[in-house]
Amino acid sequence: MSISRKCVPFTPFDRELSKTTIAIVTAGGVHLKDQEPFNIADELGDLGYRIIPPDVDPAQLMVTHHHYDHTDADSDINVVFPIEVLRDLETEGFIGGIAKKHVGYMGYTMQLKAMYEGTAREIANEIDKGSRADAVILTGG
Amino acid sequence: MKGIPTVLITVSPEVSAQMRPPRALYPKGFKIGNSLGRPNMRDLQNKVLRDALNLLTQNTRPGEIITIEYPEYGEQYEPPHVKKVG
Repeated sequence: MSISRKCVPFTPFDRELSKTTIAIVTAGGVHLKDQEPFNIADELGDLGYRIIPPDVDPAQLMVTHHHYDHTDADSDINVVFPIEVLRDLETEGFIGGIAKKHVGYMGYTMQLKAMYEGTAREIANEIDKGSRADAVILTGG
Repeated sequence: MKGIPTVLITVSPEVSAQMRPPRALYPKGFKIGNSLGRPNMRDLQNKVLRDALNLLTQNTRPGEIITIEYPEYGEQYEPPHVKKVG
C-alpha cells in the first residue's frame, strides 16, 4: 500500500485512558540482554525487532544503537523505554493496563522501503495479535 | 480498515514530521536520547508520558506535533533540522 505524501494515517481513539491498555514501541534500539543485539556493523541498518515482555526487569534491558548517545538510557532505560513509568501510571489508575508485548527496534536504516513495508507491518501485527494493546506510545532515540 | 491509535514522543520534530505521525508530542529542548527526560527524573518522566497519552483524547489535527515546555528538564538543546531542498 502506498499513501499520498499529504495523507496522515490516523486511527481515532474512542476510549477512556483509565480503561486503556498501552504498549511501547521504541526505535531506540532497546532489547533484552539475552536477545541477539542489533547489527550495528551493517551500514544499511538492522531491519529486525525484539519483543519485550511487560514484566521485564529494567536491569535486563540494554541498548544497541550507534546513531545516538544512549549513555542516559544505559543508566535509566525509562528515558527511551518508559516501562516503569507506565507501571506507575497503571498503579495511579491513569491507564488501564500494560500490554503483553512491547517492541524495540533500531530506528536507523538506509532501507526505508523495507522498514516501512516490512518491519513496520510486522511490528504492527505483533502488537495487533496477542498484545491486547488499545493504543501505542512510540519513542525514538 | 483497522488500525491502532498511536502517539509519538519525539525530540526531533522536524525529522519526525516527515513521517507524518498521527499524534506527536515534542518536549521542547530535550536532547536526543532523552525522550522522556533525564535519567531518574521520574516525576518529569511521568508528566511527559501523561501529556503524550492525553493527546489520544484531544482533538489534535492529524500530523500536528504538539510542543510542551518542561522547565524542570534544565539545559535545553536545539533539535536537528531538516535540510531544505531547492
